[in-house]
Amino acid sequence: MTDIQKLAESVDSLKDSFEDHRYICSNQIATAVYLAYHLRKPVLIEGPPGVGKTELAKTTADMFALPLIRLQCYEGLDEAKAIYEWKYGKQLLYTQVLKETLDEVLQGATGFRESVNRLHEFGDIFFSEEFMEPRPLLKALQEEDGCVLLIDEVDKSDHEFESLLLEILSDFQVSIPEIGTVKARAEPPMVFLTSNNTREISDALKRRCLHLYIPFPDVDLEQKIIHARVPEIPPQLRTQLVNFIQELRDMDLKKVPAISETIDWARTLLLLHTESLDPELVRETLNVILKFQEDIDNIDHEISTLTQKAISAN
Amino acid sequence: MDKTLTSFIATLRNADVRISPAETLDALNAVELTGYRDREFLKNTLALVLPKTADEKDTYDTTFEQFFKFAEVAGETTSSISIDDEEGEGDGEGQGQGDGQGGSAGQTNPSNSKRKSRPRFSAAGEEDQEKEEDLGDGEMSNPVSTLGKLLMQDSRVELSVQMADAAKEVNLDEIQVFTQKGLYTRRIMDQMGLADLLKEISALKQSFNMPDRRLAQELKRRQDFLREQVRDYVERQFLLHADATGMRLREELLRKVKLSNVEHRNFRLIQEIVYRMAKKLVTMHSQRKKVFKRGTLNVPRTLRRNMSYDGHIFDLQWKSVKVDRPKVFAVCDVSGSVSNYARFMLMFLYALEEVMPKVRSFAFSSDLAEVTELFERNKIEDAISKTLRDFGGGSTDYGQALVDFKKKCLDDVDNRTTIIILGDARNNYGDCKQDILQEIYQRSKRVIWLNPEPRNTWNTGDAEMRKYTPYVHQAEECNSLMHLERTVGNLLKSVQ
Repeated sequence: MTDIQKLAESVDSLKDSFEDHRYICSNQIATAVYLAYHLRKPVLIEGPPGVGKTELAKTTADMFALPLIRLQCYEGLDEAKAIYEWKYGKQLLYTQVLKETLDEVLQGATGFRESVNRLHEFGDIFFSEEFMEPRPLLKALQEEDGCVLLIDEVDKSDHEFESLLLEILSDFQVSIPEIGTVKARAEPPMVFLTSNNTREISDALKRRCLHLYIPFPDVDLEQKIIHARVPEIPPQLRTQLVNFIQELRDMDLKKVPAISETIDWARTLLLLHTESLDPELVRETLNVILKFQEDIDNIDHEISTLTQKAISAN
Repeated sequence: MDKTLTSFIATLRNADVRISPAETLDALNAVELTGYRDREFLKNTLALVLPKTADEKDTYDTTFEQFFKFAEVAGETTSSISIDDEEGEGDGEGQGQGDGQGGSAGQTNPSNSKRKSRPRFSAAGEEDQEKEEDLGDGEMSNPVSTLGKLLMQDSRVELSVQMADAAKEVNLDEIQVFTQKGLYTRRIMDQMGLADLLKEISALKQSFNMPDRRLAQELKRRQDFLREQVRDYVERQFLLHADATGMRLREELLRKVKLSNVEHRNFRLIQEIVYRMAKKLVTMHSQRKKVFKRGTLNVPRTLRRNMSYDGHIFDLQWKSVKVDRPKVFAVCDVSGSVSNYARFMLMFLYALEEVMPKVRSFAFSSDLAEVTELFERNKIEDAISKTLRDFGGGSTDYGQALVDFKKKCLDDVDNRTTIIILGDARNNYGDCKQDILQEIYQRSKRVIWLNPEPRNTWNTGDAEMRKYTPYVHQAEECNSLMHLERTVGNLLKSVQ
């Protein structure tokens, strides 16, 4: 526990520690984690795909040595899959097994009223924790030493699910009708939500979260990221390929390459023992960074100019 | 310090960043944790708590720079003074703190800064006065008017405090348009006692006494300096408070203005308003839709279905509501007189994509053509301008348009179809073919005619509304964004 506190002592120490875990982040990102830890607030991370939103949560868990509980959102996700569900099978099985003992339970009871009263004495055994299957959200609350809860792509879920999240995000508790309110154990989880902005997240949800927007990184940051992730790549090639990618981002493309694509490309070039970019090579490996044939066709005739620019830029 | 933060938040709200009281509390908590020492840290911190969309972040960035730039300007004067008597901490830190505190206090929070600067100021003031008495006899006489005294005191802190007070007195925060800047500068100067000062200066100038005249000169110089300061101050306050208010005023006007009168330079703004209106409608209606879809438990069917499981309810059956796909046909007159209306209505309809059932759109001036595909392939703005270019310009012939419509897609019109016709029904005295409209009327769920002209001119000249109105369910005057919003809102209610 003290380890975490030491790490989260200042933004700089967090940033360094992120770097140790090969996640290069801007001050803004480190500040977000710092505030999330100290204010106990969930962080809603937005940004284009592939800038490291999910990675941030994973690295945080790694860094703090906390378990990561992940809830992947999709259309139709509901509380049965996100919070808890009753173990129907177990309930049925037990009732079948207990059928025989029913006589014993009701022994001596005469009449309907008395039998029902006798049954009432047993309470709601079938709706107690033994018969409950905790799903990610509940599981996160039950972790003794805290955990990192990642609610991924929350924009893919329905409006109703968002409302469902409100209680857990603001008070770290969930209400289960049959049991009551389940509160977080000693240490509430650190919550990260990610969104690709396919739809607007409701204001109520945003209000409860810190809002972090991760844009595409600038040249320097991207260089550092590549350096951390693909350390074997020669510096000259690294500069060139980052420049090339930055050029591409300014163009009118269907899907601009993100950091993950840059990393993939760096690995590819490394595999091909490349020393320096040249148009032919770029053309051959373009499908690593551009994921639409249309985009590839579009920039095909500009490859040599772009490559030239990337090489001469520094 | 909290007051600084709240006024910063007020400024942000003014710049259209929506911040709830709960978020204000969050901001206070966060700042308590981080402090005001490190400017970048503060900026990063508040950026996480206050703005919640990418757009708002941009606004936030500029507002922060503007708001706390202030701080630096005033901070120069305070930091040199305040380090010794306020924070005796490490050099760098003390400087930072002095900057932040002195600055924000000086600008936005006069009462606070008074508390801080007064004690040390009075000490300095005494010193000054002593000095002046020593030297003053030989060189300059003492000023009499309050403003004169203030100016001669050499204290920019006190000056800016007084300035802020005066600004408050004349309600500078109500400034709305830039033409008022001069007025407010004048008012603040007046409030600070300009009249007395001027009187004194002119009196001193008349004097034959050298020190008096020297003082007059000095006072005049300092008065000019003050005017500069006040003008700067007003300018900054205007940028912070009024720019957004002015914008809102303009938006408010644009909502009501006749769409045909909208100038080209306002198109972008209108577009934004349209999107915002559309978004509001989307949130209103998307929730309703979900409720409709879900349906309730079908008890009899569930029981029947589960008989085979010995009566254990395994397999729940829902009454599913069959969602039929309503259709909307938008038929727009794009001839010169109405093209602007068509532009904004199409913009509105397509901005509602999320909740709007499939829209098919047709454009005509004399001949009618379907432009749906154009909208599918292009961005809305491009599609609209292409439509207007390709189909606009001819003389309107409603009869021909109706004939074309019948030929092209009357078969697709059924009892779930809503048809919106946008046009002024000015037919150039041609054949109206209202019998076709009647046919459409009978087949469709609803025909809505939107006419951009005011109701009393609907039947004047070559306008033929009289012939068409019997065959529409609803005929509305529609010539501003407000009208459009209302109509489209009603439309959404009826199609879902």
